[in-house]
Amino acid sequence: MPTKKLVTSYEQDLKLFPDMWHKVGLIAALAFLLVFPMVASAKWVTIANLTATSIVGAIGLMILTGFAGQISLGHAAFLAVGAYTVAVLGNEFQVPWWLGMPLAGMAAALVGLAIGPFALRLRGLYLAIVTIGLLFLVAHVLHSFGDITGGVSGIAVPMYTGLGDATFDAPWEFGDYEIPFEKKLYLVYVTIAVGAALVSKNIQRSDLGRAMIAVRDHDLAAAVLGVNPARTKIIAFALSSFFAGVAGAMFAYQQQYITIEPPFDLNMSVQYIAMIVLGGIGTTFGAVAGAIGFTVISPLAESVGRHIPFLSENLTSAQQSTVLFAVVVCLFLIYEPLGLLGFWLRIKRYFSAWPFKY
Amino acid sequence: MSTFLQLTISGLALGAVYALVALGFVVIYRASQVFNFAQGEFLTIGAFSMVAISSQGVPWYVALVAAMVITGALAAGIERLVLRRMIGRQVFVTIILTIFIGLVLRTLVVLVWGTDPVGMPTPWEMTKSFELGTASILANSLAGIVAGALALTAFFLVNKYTKLGVAMRATAGDQEVALALGIPVGRIFGSTWFIAGALAALGGIFLGMFPRTVDANLGFVALRAFPAVIVGGLESPGGAVVAGVLLGVLEVWCQGYLNPQLGHFGHNFHAVFPYIVMIVFLMIRPYGMFGTKDVERV
Repeated sequence: MPTKKLVTSYEQDLKLFPDMWHKVGLIAALAFLLVFPMVASAKWVTIANLTATSIVGAIGLMILTGFAGQISLGHAAFLAVGAYTVAVLGNEFQVPWWLGMPLAGMAAALVGLAIGPFALRLRGLYLAIVTIGLLFLVAHVLHSFGDITGGVSGIAVPMYTGLGDATFDAPWEFGDYEIPFEKKLYLVYVTIAVGAALVSKNIQRSDLGRAMIAVRDHDLAAAVLGVNPARTKIIAFALSSFFAGVAGAMFAYQQQYITIEPPFDLNMSVQYIAMIVLGGIGTTFGAVAGAIGFTVISPLAESVGRHIPFLSENLTSAQQSTVLFAVVVCLFLIYEPLGLLGFWLRIKRYFSAWPFKY
Repeated sequence: MSTFLQLTISGLALGAVYALVALGFVVIYRASQVFNFAQGEFLTIGAFSMVAISSQGVPWYVALVAAMVITGALAAGIERLVLRRMIGRQVFVTIILTIFIGLVLRTLVVLVWGTDPVGMPTPWEMTKSFELGTASILANSLAGIVAGALALTAFFLVNKYTKLGVAMRATAGDQEVALALGIPVGRIFGSTWFIAGALAALGGIFLGMFPRTVDANLGFVALRAFPAVIVGGLESPGGAVVAGVLLGVLEVWCQGYLNPQLGHFGHNFHAVFPYIVMIVFLMIRPYGMFGTKDVERV
């Protein structure tokens, strides 16, 4: 049973939006994104902002782990580098946010490039453990330069607009209608997230993305076919950490005050891995769906946890949502290896075969 | 000189715990190519069940064995119920699964035993110590070293001379051939998890005695045992033990000698030091001390 139209040429295969349904879906999604902040409460707009941050971070990890097959448990380290870059730049030099974000990405990408040589020599689990080491090292460095980073007590993240001392958190006012901070952020963050998804889609269908997939599936075979595995892996690391750095900056600007751990600890790395596994590994759709699923499940899990008698008496709300979420992820991993992508494919298959069962 | 001796002994005690944890990782990894991130939680569960059992008035040594058996059985149960279904799936997916099993277990620990730290009972006085030259050694850390050494010897004897050990080695070598030769591979997986769980429990009990008390975060020490596994080579039990002891000693030496030298940067530097040793070491030998290089067919 086909889930996709028969492709007869490379041009067709490379199209971003291969048929009418994709375009309709895209327009519907954009319309939803525009209408959402007008109807949603401040709480849900904030959740949407976190989702956008997670989407950018998850896309970064998807490039590295999903496309290029390099397992990294140090993703949070790159987010931390991004977050602290904008925090320090903002505090010391009053760097505006639109300059801070790409700089955060670049700072993280530099760290990613530094990991490159290790990635070339190590595989699989060895690499995974070394990236945990990176996470601890970054946390240690951030802690020990406390006079710049604030150390254990954390640091405020000012969001300058570049116009004198003006900061971004003042609401915009149009007559008697005003756009508060979280909705302003929403506009910026959704644009970045959509842009990141497009970039990732384009990487996936270009020669670079295909080289990554070849390296993931078998790097020796890829080398025989003329792909340079070393170069591909290093580019994957740099790209991935760029996205992570931007996500870190987004996180920092939204929180306005950050500390080192939590949130930038192993738990965060694991959450990002959970996102891409939940969404479906190896696709941009997976990163986006996983990030949305993850950030929306957490508040839901909290409200469900309150109603489970034994749990709610003995655990904090954060612990409740952690355990419910962990159980959901375990069940997914065991019963639905393709994640949300698997669900989606099954729904598509059902409707394209309708009214028959198969 | 007395500082040196003192540091070395407490390093050995810490190293014995690392070795026990690292050996647990390696035993599971060799048999089923699963890297078990929930190992730290077995440590915590072992320590807490020890406290719970001995508070019922059970003699100390009986409680020790009981705690090991309980933790081992729990580990084997998790393998049978969850990880057995994952055979043949990507390595990556099983890693993630064990991380989340660990999260669930940690929450269970909090549910059952709460978050307050408790003291580990000892058959001797808490602060009893021996004089060795100019250094004084806590009975607790000495017991940790001795118990670690005994457990490790027992493991290597079992591995070398018993039927179970031979079957375990055969499964590690080639699962399909082992199956064809009539070795019950599934049961071997179960036994490796049992052994790993029991070793972790022992580590947790002795860790809970000396440098720390028993609380829900005891298992984080497993994160510090990772470098031992990697430096030793993922597939080598001997390597895990040697590297575990070595890194334990190095860590304490670093805490004693290097940290004060580094000024502000040295604060807690010993916590990341094993990782630095690991990264440097992997640059020289990417497969660890005794690990084998993969030979691949295209």
